[in-house]
Amino acid sequence: MKPFHYLRVWLACARYSIVRTMMFRFDFLMWSLVEFFWMAVNVLLVDVFYSHVNAIAGWSKYQMMLLVGTSMLLQRLMMGFFWSNLFELGRNIRTGQFDFLLAQPGQPLFMVSTRKLDPDSLINSFVAIAVIIYSARQLGLNPDLVHIALYVGMLGCGLVIHYALVLLVVSSTFWLIGSQGIEGTFFALFEFARVPREAFRGVSNVVFVFALPAVVTTFVPARMLIHGFEPVYLLWLGGVALAWLALAIFVFNCGLRRYSSASS
Amino acid sequence: MRAALNKYRHAYLVGLQSNIVYRWNFAFRGFFSLFHLVVVFTLWGAAYAGQKQIGGFDLGQTLTYFVLLLVLQFFIGGFTEDYQISEEIRNGLINQFLLKPINYFCYRFTIFLSARTVSGALVLLPLAVALPFIYRYLTLPTEAWRLWFGLPAVAMSGVIQFTIAYCFGLMAFWFLEIQSFVILSYAVETLLGGQVFPLDLMPAGLYRLSQFLPYYYQMYFPAAIFTGRIKTQAQALEGLGIQLFWVVVLLALAHLLWVRGLRRYTAVGG
Repeated sequence: MKPFHYLRVWLACARYSIVRTMMFRFDFLMWSLVEFFWMAVNVLLVDVFYSHVNAIAGWSKYQMMLLVGTSMLLQRLMMGFFWSNLFELGRNIRTGQFDFLLAQPGQPLFMVSTRKLDPDSLINSFVAIAVIIYSARQLGLNPDLVHIALYVGMLGCGLVIHYALVLLVVSSTFWLIGSQGIEGTFFALFEFARVPREAFRGVSNVVFVFALPAVVTTFVPARMLIHGFEPVYLLWLGGVALAWLALAIFVFNCGLRRYSSASS
Repeated sequence: MRAALNKYRHAYLVGLQSNIVYRWNFAFRGFFSLFHLVVVFTLWGAAYAGQKQIGGFDLGQTLTYFVLLLVLQFFIGGFTEDYQISEEIRNGLINQFLLKPINYFCYRFTIFLSARTVSGALVLLPLAVALPFIYRYLTLPTEAWRLWFGLPAVAMSGVIQFTIAYCFGLMAFWFLEIQSFVILSYAVETLLGGQVFPLDLMPAGLYRLSQFLPYYYQMYFPAAIFTGRIKTQAQALEGLGIQLFWVVVLLALAHLLWVRGLRRYTAVGG
């Protein structure tokens, strides 16, 4: 299939997801509220922290709010575009319903990753964007179009990293059939994305900043808005995104070769 | 009485066996909760840099609070009880309980106790791994009264945790899908139960208000007694009184929902 056809498939899936969401409006409203509340919890945490301290690892209140806003936006995009798909992938491998996706005329990973959208998460992206804009205003930042484009590009790299991490975790289901709930490890890892890089010291700096790529996904874009563009950070983020994506695709393909269905 | 206890003893033992099947899930969850501890230690460690106390407590006291919270979560926290109950209602599996001489609440509570026995035992393993790294931060007050007030507080917290989950599960009598209610409630519990930050760090008015809500007694209250965030016996006694009040109210609510829900329930299938 050509890229244009993939775009048409994705648009059809997106339209189906939106129509389905509108059929269950109360559910949509409730889930939107859930997402909104979780974001409010994060903002409140920052507020409570800074009612007692002036800085955390050298980050002021609104710098921290910008970091948390960036992590919230990244998580909303991840949940909106990919989470349901990857979550169902693990379940489908266990039940054998993965056969249905393999039988579709397209690249399996694309078909697996783009079947559904979660509009409730995507709608809350605007709340996260509002937090980022508010924090930037409080910090007196006025990024030009180039910096905004760079920020968006860095968020894209962050999204790729998170997608790769979840795909890696879920792909383990090809080997570990009894791995229900394993997808939740993503949320454990994502907690690190709300912590400034400077707070990590010694071994935790090596493990959680360099080895596991959660901190870099939010720290780099937030730092770019606050301190301006530094090419080395873009290279770091881009390199990490490419490496983890390549690893995730490799593991997924290995699992695919091992898959032998689970139903009759 | 003895026959009734025997009945639930068997339910406990069966629950224990079925939960041991999922021992790796609990162990895995326990292991990843250590990641949460790393975040807590990193963030609070950075917040305490340059100052000895936050809200009247030093770093060790605050970190001990979060470690204890984690342990309590695995011993008395609700995991998927609400979901299991809602599934039993939706799939008609409660039919068997309506036909047998067994109280559904007591049965589910017994299963909850068996599940927490397994998850509580399993969280001790990752904690033992973490202990060499965190023991120097752990600091607990030594007054004996904290134990006598803390243990009943833990027991009542377990009842509150379960009963709230039970009530949400019973909402399946009215709603097809309860997951969003559950997650919303979980978010409220996480915040007002003191899992995001110790509640005493909130502005005084809000903290006082939180003391009259059931969430305060789900996790924060027993942890606060054990870690010294509740300073006097009088405060602990007042808390135990309010906690008991919430236990009674929630049990009454659970009974009401069960009775009302059964009126709506249609048993289909075998």
